[in-house]
Amino acid sequence: MHFVKGVDAVELQLLAVAILLPAFSAILCYLIRKAAIRNIIVVATAFIMFAVAGKFVQLLFQNGGHLEIVLEGFAAVTTEMVIKVLDFLLFLYLILIGIKLKKPLVVVLTLFQLIPLLVFEFGMHPAEVEKAFVLDYLSLIMVLLVSIIGPIITIFSLGYMKEHEHHLNLKKSRQPRFFVILFMFLGAMNALVMTNNLLWLYFFWEVTTLCSFLLISHDGNEQSIKNATRALIINMAGGVAFIFGIIFIYKIKKTLSIEDIATAQSAGDLATFLPLGIGLLCLAGFTKSAQFPFQSWLLGAMVAPTPVSAMLHSSTMVKAGVYLIVRFSPSYAGTRLGDLIAVVGGFTFLAGSAIAVSQSNGKRVLAYSTIANLGLIVCCSGIGNPIAIGAAILLIIYHAVSKGLLFLCIGTIEQGIGSRDIEDMQGLMKKMPFTTVITVIGMISMLLPPFGVLITKWLAIESAVHSPIVLVMIILGSAFTVVFWAQWIGIILTMSYKPVLKAEKLFFSIRSSLAALFVAVLACSIGIAPIFNSIIKPQIERLKIQGTAVLSGENGGIWANNGQFGGFGIVYFFIIVLAILITIPFFMRKAKPESMKTPYLCGENTADTRGIEFMGPGEKIENALVHNYYFKNIFNESGLTLWVNVVAGAIILIMFGVVI
Amino acid sequence: MENITLQNVILIILAIVISPILGGILTGIDRKISARMQNRYGPPIMQPFYDFFKLLGKERITVNQTQIVYVIAHLFFSIVCVAMFVLKQDLLMIIFILAFSSISLIMGAMSVRSPYSKIGAQREIIQMMAYEPVLLLMIVGIYLTTKSFMIKSVFEHGTPLLFSLPLVFFAFLYVLTIKLRKSPFDFSTSHHGHQELIKGLTTEFSGPQLALIELTHWYDLVLLLAMISLFFAQPLWVGILIALVSYFLEMVIDNISARITWKWMLKLTWVIGIGAAVTNIIWIYMRNK
Repeated sequence: MHFVKGVDAVELQLLAVAILLPAFSAILCYLIRKAAIRNIIVVATAFIMFAVAGKFVQLLFQNGGHLEIVLEGFAAVTTEMVIKVLDFLLFLYLILIGIKLKKPLVVVLTLFQLIPLLVFEFGMHPAEVEKAFVLDYLSLIMVLLVSIIGPIITIFSLGYMKEHEHHLNLKKSRQPRFFVILFMFLGAMNALVMTNNLLWLYFFWEVTTLCSFLLISHDGNEQSIKNATRALIINMAGGVAFIFGIIFIYKIKKTLSIEDIATAQSAGDLATFLPLGIGLLCLAGFTKSAQFPFQSWLLGAMVAPTPVSAMLHSSTMVKAGVYLIVRFSPSYAGTRLGDLIAVVGGFTFLAGSAIAVSQSNGKRVLAYSTIANLGLIVCCSGIGNPIAIGAAILLIIYHAVSKGLLFLCIGTIEQGIGSRDIEDMQGLMKKMPFTTVITVIGMISMLLPPFGVLITKWLAIESAVHSPIVLVMIILGSAFTVVFWAQWIGIILTMSYKPVLKAEKLFFSIRSSLAALFVAVLACSIGIAPIFNSIIKPQIERLKIQGTAVLSGENGGIWANNGQFGGFGIVYFFIIVLAILITIPFFMRKAKPESMKTPYLCGENTADTRGIEFMGPGEKIENALVHNYYFKNIFNESGLTLWVNVVAGAIILIMFGVVI
Repeated sequence: MENITLQNVILIILAIVISPILGGILTGIDRKISARMQNRYGPPIMQPFYDFFKLLGKERITVNQTQIVYVIAHLFFSIVCVAMFVLKQDLLMIIFILAFSSISLIMGAMSVRSPYSKIGAQREIIQMMAYEPVLLLMIVGIYLTTKSFMIKSVFEHGTPLLFSLPLVFFAFLYVLTIKLRKSPFDFSTSHHGHQELIKGLTTEFSGPQLALIELTHWYDLVLLLAMISLFFAQPLWVGILIALVSYFLEMVIDNISARITWKWMLKLTWVIGIGAAVTNIIWIYMRNK
């Protein structure tokens, strides 16, 4: 029997594996509760997911960057039915959660989605989408992020969760539940980025909302349930915007095929409800990507075990929001809606970076930095010229890799020193040199040239020159970014002299996943030119974004208009950096113990060789300790958040005022 | 885009050799003129070089083994900036790499457990927060005038940039005082050895390490003055003259003003520096439209 027409069955099988394998492994993890077998399942699933992602790369290149998977006959009918049934089950489950938590708002928000969905399905009888799944380079990038970073984080969790539950003194391990949800999450993300049916995308979108709720509430204490509920409510509000957006779009376009909606023609349809529909989709994207004023759920999500944060912040969840916004960028490029989306993103970038300066909790700094970077992605898609879209897609990649790594690092540090406060990380280099070096390079990759994140910031500024408001926001935001990263790096590199630094003991799963992501960070940044040429450039051409400037990866770097407009030879720079890195041990070994001196303490040093203790007044020994400046009276979080939320809310209202 | 040609390689080598010599001489002149302003005789013009070689020959004392790494990075990235400048590359990227160089020094100062150097580093970070936006806005202003981020196009541009970017030029001069750590904005190093921070940022560097930091300072000085001359690139001698006059102005300001607190600096720079640059950019933007 042939279910599929026009394509090899291989593709369908791959698709099925990419989406269903995580679900299958999830069930296995739940049924078989032995830790040793779970380890094997997780590792095997990870490797199969890597292989599937690799195969997708090969297939997509063979097909010139566009792969359609058409379901026919039995396959089409069953898939459609299964998704519909699951969709309703999902909503029923959400209502149950709402009742169990005694949160009427959850129930109301579910009904606000369920009723429009029922009216839409049975009242408007939407036409089936012929091409159920369409893969292009943007989907491919997302698939790669989900299927490579996701499994690495899952492997990391094997070691982390063991230690985590050891700390909590649990009687019965809750790990099976944990891994079930992680895998479901990955499967849903894979499906979300590959489907071409807007209604299906909506279903997977809601699945990720549910998964994040379950993961955030994993530890089951009062705080985590409270924060998980907040995440659920905010994301469901986004879901309400999503379903209404679908209805408006369908009324005008008479199709649910994303390929046909996200086109430049749609940007011309100004007089209709179409911009409103697309605006609503973007609003859903804002909630999921934690743009101001919807940021609070992502900050609250910090109560979950660290691998969850790593997952939410890097390849899944928040990236689904920006994926949707970038995916629909052709349909608002150059319109006033686009301009305002850029302002929303730019403002989030500025405000997120400013508040991050005042934070001394490492995880919160990372969270605000995520919010800010997502803002920059949204901002670039709003600017909507080819350079900006290129920057947006590049930032999706680089942010995912670096942030995934950094969260794993902070998780490891937290288990090592028992604190996530930046001030407690003084002298980390002496205690955990392996983690410290990786963390520092991870942070540098978020901040400095020639790493990818800075390259995108540079492209963002170069592409925003024609919208002064957005530009000023990006520039001020980058100044703040420098502050909090530099302070943090400075703290963890602080050390007094120690002749030999010995790597700390870590679980193999933790050590190997840190190393794998570290290599990924370096590889992505060094290979920016080939990555750009082979994946991103054709995608920008496919999106048919209007604009004169053309980016290309040549001569070991990225150049705009063949170097007439701007550009940078990244590879040359990397050669210099690597040369310095190689010489470091040489210079460090030159320093002999006999030439070591303690820091200057006005001549009141004691016998302490670290140089911390000094002789205070009355011959009393005191400690010299300098904290970082957090500018609490300027960037005060609680005070600033209120005003920032008000302004961000106003910008979003203006956005809708303009499109209606 | 620039290919590796023999000419470019020679250009880079020349720049790497000549800039520190120029920078050293300028620093010597600075010291001489400052001394005269203070009714002192002052050291010979070549004094910075004597100091430099003396420091190189000193004993290698450090507080921990990593300090030297940051110093080398500090120097190296400044040299990269100078090289990119003479190759007439992307200005925005040069500013970012210059930031890398500054951050390296901050890391070096923070890497030791010394209260003086740590406070100096914190203050230096505040300085970066103040001047980075202005530098970036300057580049944007240049882009809006020449339609390119490449230095090459500044030289191809018909009229001098100063005519269309007077306020941006002013803002740049303003932050130059911060970047050169001159009074009234010298609170991260406090100029003189016996004052509040005992040289802050560089307290814990000595001997050859301090020599390399001084060398980097010369590179930075030349690079910043070269950026000033971009504002009058045709004919270039006028630009260079303007740069020298600006440097003299910095010396005067250095000698007539007292140090202010970082809060004041941040407020003033953001209001005056960013305000001036943004005003200028807005009018160029409106005119282009």
